[in-house]
Amino acid sequence: MLRKIWEHRADYAYVLPAIAVMLVVIAYPIYYTIDLSFFNTPPGLQLRDKTFVGFNNYTTILTSAVFWKVTWNTLIWTVGSTVISFVLGFAAALALHRDFFGRGVLRAILIIPWVISAVAASYIWKWIYHSDFGIIGAVLVGLGLADRPPNFIDSVSTVLPSLIVVNIWREFPFAMIMMMAGLQTVPDQLLRAAKVDGANAWQRFWHVTFPHLSNVSTVTILLLAVANFNSFIIPWIMTGGGPSNASHIWITHIYELAFGRQRWGVASAYSVLLFIILMTLGYFYVRALSGNDRRDEGA
Amino acid sequence: MAHVVLKDLVKTYGSFKAVNEVSLTVNDGEFVALVGPSGCGKTTTLNLIAGLIPITSGDIVIGDQVVNDLDPKDRDIAMVFQNYALYPQKSVYMNLAFPLQMRRLPKAEIDKKVREAARVLDMTQLLERKPRELSGGQQQRVALGRALVRDPAVFLMDEPLSNLDAKLRVQMRSEIKRFHQDLKATIVYVTHDQLEAVTMADRMAVMNGGYLQQYDSPAQVFAHPANMFVASFVGSPAMSLIPLEASTANGDTVLKSAEGWSLGLSQLNARKAQRATGRKVVLGARHSTIKLHKSAVPGAIPAKAYTVEPTGDVTFVQALLSGAIVNISVSPNIAVKPDEQIWLEFDQERMHLFDGETEMALEAA
Amino acid sequence: MSTIAETSRRGQAHRRMRIDGWRWGGRIFLVFMLLYTALPMAWMLITSIKSGFAAMQFPPQWWPDQPTLASYQKLLDPQNSVGQDFLRFFWNSLYVSAATTVLSVIVAVPAAYAFSRFTFPGRNFLFFTVLLRNMFPAVIFLVPLFILMRAIGLVNTHGSLVLTYLTFGLPLAIWLLKGFYDNIPVQLEQAARIDGATRFQAFILIVMPLSTPGIIATAIYSFIGAWNEYIYAYTFLSKNEQLTLPVGIQRFFSENTTDFPGLMAASFMMSVPVVVLFLVLQRYFVRALTEGAVKH
Repeated sequence: MLRKIWEHRADYAYVLPAIAVMLVVIAYPIYYTIDLSFFNTPPGLQLRDKTFVGFNNYTTILTSAVFWKVTWNTLIWTVGSTVISFVLGFAAALALHRDFFGRGVLRAILIIPWVISAVAASYIWKWIYHSDFGIIGAVLVGLGLADRPPNFIDSVSTVLPSLIVVNIWREFPFAMIMMMAGLQTVPDQLLRAAKVDGANAWQRFWHVTFPHLSNVSTVTILLLAVANFNSFIIPWIMTGGGPSNASHIWITHIYELAFGRQRWGVASAYSVLLFIILMTLGYFYVRALSGNDRRDEGA
Repeated sequence: MAHVVLKDLVKTYGSFKAVNEVSLTVNDGEFVALVGPSGCGKTTTLNLIAGLIPITSGDIVIGDQVVNDLDPKDRDIAMVFQNYALYPQKSVYMNLAFPLQMRRLPKAEIDKKVREAARVLDMTQLLERKPRELSGGQQQRVALGRALVRDPAVFLMDEPLSNLDAKLRVQMRSEIKRFHQDLKATIVYVTHDQLEAVTMADRMAVMNGGYLQQYDSPAQVFAHPANMFVASFVGSPAMSLIPLEASTANGDTVLKSAEGWSLGLSQLNARKAQRATGRKVVLGARHSTIKLHKSAVPGAIPAKAYTVEPTGDVTFVQALLSGAIVNISVSPNIAVKPDEQIWLEFDQERMHLFDGETEMALEAA
Repeated sequence: MSTIAETSRRGQAHRRMRIDGWRWGGRIFLVFMLLYTALPMAWMLITSIKSGFAAMQFPPQWWPDQPTLASYQKLLDPQNSVGQDFLRFFWNSLYVSAATTVLSVIVAVPAAYAFSRFTFPGRNFLFFTVLLRNMFPAVIFLVPLFILMRAIGLVNTHGSLVLTYLTFGLPLAIWLLKGFYDNIPVQLEQAARIDGATRFQAFILIVMPLSTPGIIATAIYSFIGAWNEYIYAYTFLSKNEQLTLPVGIQRFFSENTTDFPGLMAASFMMSVPVVVLFLVLQRYFVRALTEGAVKH
């Protein structure tokens, strides 16, 4: 083994810079977070004064009502955003697959929300949702659907769905690009064969196109799920987690615990729990990716 | 030009032995074909000679130098690849110039050599094109040109014709042969097509499962295959191999079939058959050495025609005999129908006998 | 005979109707998606050319009575304190994003190449370790990185951002580029090495030019990621003159929350560079995704 490593020493030179950066910015923080999760820390990050408290931070979290509230929010946020983004993106990719006049322009427009910053998107939608001067409220009132403009993001019941709409707005283009790329790889011959065999449009999609895209779909869904699980900017800027925690998800909650209330130990314990969940997701992610990596072991 | 010597060459990937103790010598100016089915180790052997993959053990000598640890660029070789490996972003001219640029030749000399190579290969008018604007045959020619322009000690060719259509392949076959004769080049040529090896090479090295099976001139390999694998691999249609049992009674040795018939043997063949390790002997016969009779003849074996394939100037008949398929070629004016009863007569002079246990050719002592 | 012809004709008519149904469904859907995508952006633009007073009306002015570029003038005016800040944020963002992009390419290209071409012990393990970085949210790394940056004296420097951005751009960059290199026939390099190139020359002279689209895609991705990043910039930087755009804009408008035309104008200007960059180079990006991530 050592001899083998030595024989390949030149190969490592290529990956060394990448690995070095990763080690500093991943391995060390992970170690540090796990370590800190067993301590009680005073505000202001005076870490000399931290005291060991064992699993106390973890029990605090798991017994708090906020934890379950935030977990439920995170679940709705992640699943809702992921599923709808994927379905909309896939459908748009299918609709754009056939050539028609203006396709390129339309595709470009649909991709723009994905490119612009989440901060800008948050402000745009905050303005659209504005409880006094928001355009949606005005349209609803104008059409006689509401007496006065609704309070989209200041109300406990509508805040989370409203934020999910914003998130989908930014995210469906990613699914669309991925699926468009995938659609290009569906062999034409197979579709023609299915046509000759008498399959209609839906059957061709279901029996040829969709199975062919299963790998891309898995990767796309996983990437979306991870990104959504890790979202921060949209809820943070638009509502800061409010009103009364109705739009807090794990990440915003952890951030607030750490940098808002300076409870570093508890925040670290939260991070460790998050880490465990992500490792589970990561297992599937890696499996899906390695399904994409069927290259022979060559020279 | 130079000679190439492989000595006990071994390449392993983990526990898998891709190349197994291969030893052979390619003489200066000789055209040697490495031939075998896919996965037999022929391309690995070529890559080992080129230095593209490191050897596990053994020696490679090019010219008078052991090149085991030399970089490809220092081995003074040129290589033609199956997919041509033309640099897609470079014009034909730049493709041809690249090996010379890498050797830091002066610009004027590069230009002279490139134009000379283009003239020889008749593609002066293509110099400014990009590879993707060329036909398969033209790309092939550029790949040859890129090898030629360097004037290397050894040419290595990895299935250079297998991406061409049948007609072009035959044409390029004679061009490469001509190229070899004109340049007196040392060529190691890998192919899975035994016909290419037989028609082009001075000597052919037949490989299977990482082992060198036989290394000899095509005529010798054809006439005296060393074992059953070589016998069935070289020649088309393949040599028929019929598993039988030798038995000796009253001093006469015959080959008995499970179907009940038996075949008498000439004295020479009888001596060969007696040298088999067990009783199992495999009879090998090429299609042209079997005579087909429409009625019983002394010494002929009864069989049933299975399929009949007329090709114009010769008709191939396949018959079932002792569980094996036997190919026979007959003149087209002999009408044979499927399922017809026929009699087969084997030529004692030109038949091959193989040891049923070791699969090696049986020779009289 | 006539019945056969008739049934087949009827069959065809039937099928054409079906296909039309799908096609129309697709079109209606696309119109819906276009409205969903474009209307918010249009509203941003319309608001940005209103005066503060005109924006605060109910019902809103669908098109401003008196369109004005005052918000843009204010943001781009180097004489005015708002303009000074905005231009400085803009410059900071540009600087940090460009540095991140250049470094990403320099680090990702050799790594992706090695993962694609070489088999060395631990190759798969290292590759997936790199990919796993994508799994973890910024927040997990925030506290320890903050402490780390403080320890090595990078807090309140742009270096801390570049280093951090590098790590979240790298995994996808390496993955995309690896897919690209997988699709470049290894024989091209072998040919180059036989033609007299060293392994490194073969890489620089033959492989690099062929992977340009992948490198461009990687660069766009890194640039956009860095340009839009918020959370690290929000945490690591506290000095006003160092802020990048996303954080700067937020600081800015948390002070005067009602200047929506100004906010929309700033959002628009923040989006322009990345949108233009992406639209110009999008075909490389889509191609890289196809070759790198999808086609195998």
